[in-house]
Formats: sequence, C-alpha cells, structure tokens
Amino acid sequence: MNAHDEDRIKQLLQRALPPVNSGAEPSRDLWPALLRRVDAEPSAQLAALARSTPWFDWALLAGLVVFAVAFPATIPVFLYYL
Amino acid sequence: MNTHPYLRAYLAGIFVTTLILPIILTVFIVVRLVLHLPVPIERGLIFPMALIPAGWGLWNMLWIASHERTHLAVGVHGAIFPFILLPIGATVAHCYGILSFGASSATWFQALQVPYALIVPLFCCGVAAYYLVWKYIIGSLNSVLGIA
Repeated sequence: MNAHDEDRIKQLLQRALPPVNSGAEPSRDLWPALLRRVDAEPSAQLAALARSTPWFDWALLAGLVVFAVAFPATIPVFLYYL
Repeated sequence: MNTHPYLRAYLAGIFVTTLILPIILTVFIVVRLVLHLPVPIERGLIFPMALIPAGWGLWNMLWIASHERTHLAVGVHGAIFPFILLPIGATVAHCYGILSFGASSATWFQALQVPYALIVPLFCCGVAAYYLVWKYIIGSLNSVLGIA
C-alpha cells in the first residue's frame, strides 16, 4: 500500500463517516429516563410473568390457598413432606 | 458453560429446600423447646432435613439425564416426585413413631389428626405445589445455570 492508496482510503473514510462533534450533548437530560426505566423494570418483569402464566397454574395456586385456609391443620403435615 | 451439568442440576434442585427447611426447622425448635409443645418433632426430622434436599437435587439430575429421551416438562417431572416421596416419608414417619394409623384418621406428631378422606386432597395439593415450584423456581434456576 503506497501513500496514494492511504490518502484514498482516508478520503473515503472521511466521506463515509460524519464528523464527530466532541462537545455535542443530547438534546434532553437522559438521566431521569434511565431512572424511570430502572424503577419500572422489576414491576414490568413481574407483569410479564403474570401475563405469561397460564390460567391453569393460577387455578392450582388458588386451590392450594383455599385448601390451606379451609384445613390449616394439614399445613404441618404438608411442610413435613416438603 | 456446558461443563458439569449434573453438578449444576443438583445445586439448582437443592436450592428451594435448603432455603426453606432452616426456616421450618427454626419454627419446629421454637414450638418444641420454647413453647414446650409435647410433640416429638425431632424424631422425624431426619426425613425433611436429610433426605428431601438430596432427593430434590437427585431428581433434578434425573430430569437433566432423561430430558433428551422423555421431553418431559420440568413441572410435570417435579409433580411425579411426591408419588415417590409419600411412601418413603410415610414409612420413615411410621418407623419413628410420628405417624400412626387409626380407624378413621391418620395422626401425625401424636397431635394432628387428618381423616383418611382428607389425605387424597392433601396429596393432590402436594402434587400441585410440586408442579408449581418445579415449573417456576427450579425451571428458572435451570435456565439461569444454563442447563435447560
């Protein structure tokens, strides 16, 4: 590769890539949006999990709760076989 | 991340029980030693404290080993486990004197009487609980550890 080729590549690269302005700043403050996203993620994940859980699993969970409330004496037996 | 899949399966399997059983043990000790409840809980602790965690780990290892052939969902695989645990647990509990059989009910810890008619629904609840725990907790752990 001679000097002419290097100049040619340099010109092509400069033409392809826009100049970077080192002093440029975003048009708005991104920090509050990042904080909102961090705060929203756990609840969003829980909501997604709740949406993806089939009704059958909810019914099973409800049945377990109803049984435990109706027959609390069986809870130690249940825990023993856990 | 494909090394030692059975070790990771064992660790994922014992996660839930090693997390919960110390809490249950604490409650049992408080009930027995602090509140002086005349119930021989300590006789039967060998089953939940020693056998159950290892059993969960081994059961998860078995799922990893058999999944290629059976394609069984991890929740269904976990729901099968009570069918093995119940006879073992009942035998251990009976041998240590914490389970006795009466005319119309079984008695745990010489205090808790459960009618025979209630044992089948109780067992079904156990199967349902195992299904949910294995599907959502053990399954997630298997994914996190890269074995599912």
